[in-house]
Amino acid sequence: MGQLRLLMQVAFRNLFTSKINILIGGIIFFGTLLVVVGGALLDSMDSAMSRSIIGSVAGHLQVYSDDSKEELSLYGGMGGEPDLAVLDDFSRIKPFLEKHPNVKTVVPMGTSGALISSGNTVDLTLARLRDLYKKRAEEGESPALRANIDSVKSHVRQMVSLMEEQRNKSRELLSSAAVDPLEAEALARARTDAFWDTFESDPFAALEFLENRIAPQLPDGDLLDMRYVGTDLDSFQRTFDRMEIVDGQPVPQGKRGMLLSKFYYENFLKLKTALRLDNIKQEKDLNQKRIDADPQLQRWVKENQTQTREILFQLDPIKTRQAVERLQKVLGKQEPSLEKLLSEFLTTTDDNFDTRYQQFYAELAPLLDLYRMRMGDNLTITAFTRTGYVQSVNVKIYGTYQFKGLEKSAMAGVINLMDLMSFRELYGYLSPDRKAEIAELQKNSGLKAVDRANAEEALFGEESGNSLVAEATPGLIEDAKAFEGALGSLRRDDLAARVYSQQEIEQGVALSAAIILKDPEQLQQTMEELKQSSKAAGLKLRVVSWQQAAGLIGQFVLMAKLVLYFAVFIIFIVALVIINNAMMMATLQRVREVGTMRAIGAQRSFILSMVLVETVLLGFVFGAGGALLGSGIMGALGSAGIPAGNEALYFFFSGPRLYPTLSAGNLIAAFVIVLLVSAISTLYPAFLATRVSPLQAMQTDE
Amino acid sequence: MNAAVAQSPIVSITNVTKDYTLGKVVVPALRGVDLQVHPGEFISIAGPSGSGKTTLLNLIGCVDTATAGVVSVAGQDTKLLTERQLTHLRLHTIGFIFQSFNLVSVLSVFQNVEFPLLLQRKLDKNQRKERVNQLLEQVGLAHHARHRPNELSGGQRQRVAVARALVTRPQLVLADEPTANLDSVTGQNIIDLMKELNQKEGTTFIFSTHDAKVMSHANAVVRLADGKFLDRLSPAEARRAMAAGAEGH
Repeated sequence: MGQLRLLMQVAFRNLFTSKINILIGGIIFFGTLLVVVGGALLDSMDSAMSRSIIGSVAGHLQVYSDDSKEELSLYGGMGGEPDLAVLDDFSRIKPFLEKHPNVKTVVPMGTSGALISSGNTVDLTLARLRDLYKKRAEEGESPALRANIDSVKSHVRQMVSLMEEQRNKSRELLSSAAVDPLEAEALARARTDAFWDTFESDPFAALEFLENRIAPQLPDGDLLDMRYVGTDLDSFQRTFDRMEIVDGQPVPQGKRGMLLSKFYYENFLKLKTALRLDNIKQEKDLNQKRIDADPQLQRWVKENQTQTREILFQLDPIKTRQAVERLQKVLGKQEPSLEKLLSEFLTTTDDNFDTRYQQFYAELAPLLDLYRMRMGDNLTITAFTRTGYVQSVNVKIYGTYQFKGLEKSAMAGVINLMDLMSFRELYGYLSPDRKAEIAELQKNSGLKAVDRANAEEALFGEESGNSLVAEATPGLIEDAKAFEGALGSLRRDDLAARVYSQQEIEQGVALSAAIILKDPEQLQQTMEELKQSSKAAGLKLRVVSWQQAAGLIGQFVLMAKLVLYFAVFIIFIVALVIINNAMMMATLQRVREVGTMRAIGAQRSFILSMVLVETVLLGFVFGAGGALLGSGIMGALGSAGIPAGNEALYFFFSGPRLYPTLSAGNLIAAFVIVLLVSAISTLYPAFLATRVSPLQAMQTDE
Repeated sequence: MNAAVAQSPIVSITNVTKDYTLGKVVVPALRGVDLQVHPGEFISIAGPSGSGKTTLLNLIGCVDTATAGVVSVAGQDTKLLTERQLTHLRLHTIGFIFQSFNLVSVLSVFQNVEFPLLLQRKLDKNQRKERVNQLLEQVGLAHHARHRPNELSGGQRQRVAVARALVTRPQLVLADEPTANLDSVTGQNIIDLMKELNQKEGTTFIFSTHDAKVMSHANAVVRLADGKFLDRLSPAEARRAMAAGAEGH
């Protein structure tokens, strides 16, 4: 007791007498600070990101087929979608997984992507006109229909004149050789009054001319990459409670349909002019940027000035007139050209931006379709199936959704949700409906199924009297002709109305399944147990944590942690060397003192304890100081929050701000590391101290 | 004196040699020394620099080992003891007084004196306190118990060292040039103090010095020259011999 107290006293009094100790203390202080703050930040980020990933699509665990060639990567990998083998029958896997006591729910999933085209504006308008004429042919003309037809017709006519204008403009830039005379001729014809006067006599012929000769002159709308997750939408929404519907409504239970991500909807489907205005506003308001100082904002303003075509084409003559009037009023000018008015209106500066922004949404937006797609629209998705052929599916857009806290995250925002049935079809699997439909088609067209082994015989053998060329493929069926028979009536439009039972949804392929656990703390254990039991059951499943399932994203924090720990490791290695050297110097300085103690009768063990107690105390005092300051910093950050400066960070912060917390684990880890490092770095100096001979005490000062 | 001789010697040195190797050169420090010290003696070791005084004291103090010969302290042949046992012997049997005091600077006077008792672990706190205070009283530093060594004068520091050397009630106290760093009056006081303790407690003292005044307090003066035992004289004889030696030079 007395000895230990003495040692503590010696250690404590030596603590602040030696400059070397202050140096060592400083290193320990900052080392601890770094471990505490860095560790706590990364842990907080890790848990925030895990909330993002677990709460958006991954769940705690993901299972997928062990036959897969690549690893599951829910947010896409380096080279697009990973090559996964399918889980043939989700309904077999689900009860198996749900047997585990820690499994709460299992949600089937599949991730894929397709290119969608926004279409050619002229084409789309002509299609509308054609529908109206068709309606007239079927139901006869009513005054309302007539008015409607006239309105669309004049819209088309306006488009043609716009095209002509643009053509004249581009002629100034292009050599005459680059102008196709046939195109010019067609455009000229569509401009004549004669063409429009005779329109009514044979509207379908006139439409055909416009569709074939005029529409192709306008470039198509851009292609959009669209990632979607096919899932049991109902179960998905119940399971991922961060999900909320923003516009529209959820897809009714059992129905086919899509929910677009709000982020995707805003950033990719919104009218570009409006999107650019939104972006400028956000940069100005949130990041305090100025148009006159920021090249990015200047570029957006410039694009808004020049790229007015989207708006011009959208407006029919009536709306064009309204727009002109409103803009003339707003700008106080008598300019008759909408294009010029728009260009001037959108020439925004720091001074007028806020009023213009408001005016845009108050005056112009009501005349425009702000989004390329509206809730309730049908979207045709054309995707390459796994085997390489092209499959199209019509899906109704029911609404948009977002994950709470991840509204601005592009990472979470690229995921659009789709019902599992449509997904399976796009992925190349036939739903029971499709199978039945095709069987019906085969029956009606006199086709017979020929499997590959017998193909040669069937084609060229004695009995191959029938032509095997399909007379009816889905794309060539006449729209008007209804199918015969009960199953044949399942047309695509009807499919959208069909309600699937839970059993139908679950019996079929899925690419992976998300598992939500009752107790997330036992993730590792549950994962191992599921691996074992699925192996035992011969199910060939791969079970991965959300971290692995998220691919590169999931590894991000892990990598950041590795970097931090590596940095800490390096710092402490350096600290180790410095402390070691410093302690050697300190020991050498105290050779006489140690020698005296040895001469008086102190054993080597006493000297060893003395040095160790001193270092540990040093580590303790300065470590505590660093931990205290670290806790203070974390406390301040925890209440103020760290703003996610750019949108990429929203995902990692699981929201606009990260509120880091300091766990006891961080503090303990820091302390253990510090004490360990200081103890290790003193071992050799301490050893040297024990080798100090008592003879050293006898030396005189001279 | 006679009674002392009758007792077995506390230090017995028989034909001891000690060589130091400096690089490749072997430097003999002691070349066959015999010496017997009996309990209660107050012995001064004298001789010019390099005569082997310090080496001899180190061997007796068990902080160094002889190259050949037998060094026996308190009846134990030091050659046969392990490092631990030697340390133990130093702690319980020998007290040390150093030329430059060698106090632990971060400890108070009291703690410095208490230090060997703490190492011994024989006494409890109160006993230690009583013993330390008694010793501080004896060396006249009772009022300085809470001071740090650097707040004391040289003589006071050496008195603390004397108290530290005696606090364990050792049979033998070794002092290598205890007065060399002190002025003559203070040095005189220290020797008086040592002598007083020697007579009161019966503690054996062996100290080296080349101060003739200091020698005069000894029972006997052992003279060394070139690492060899020269003679063992009474203080008076020693003074005369040294005076003659000085004339001879």
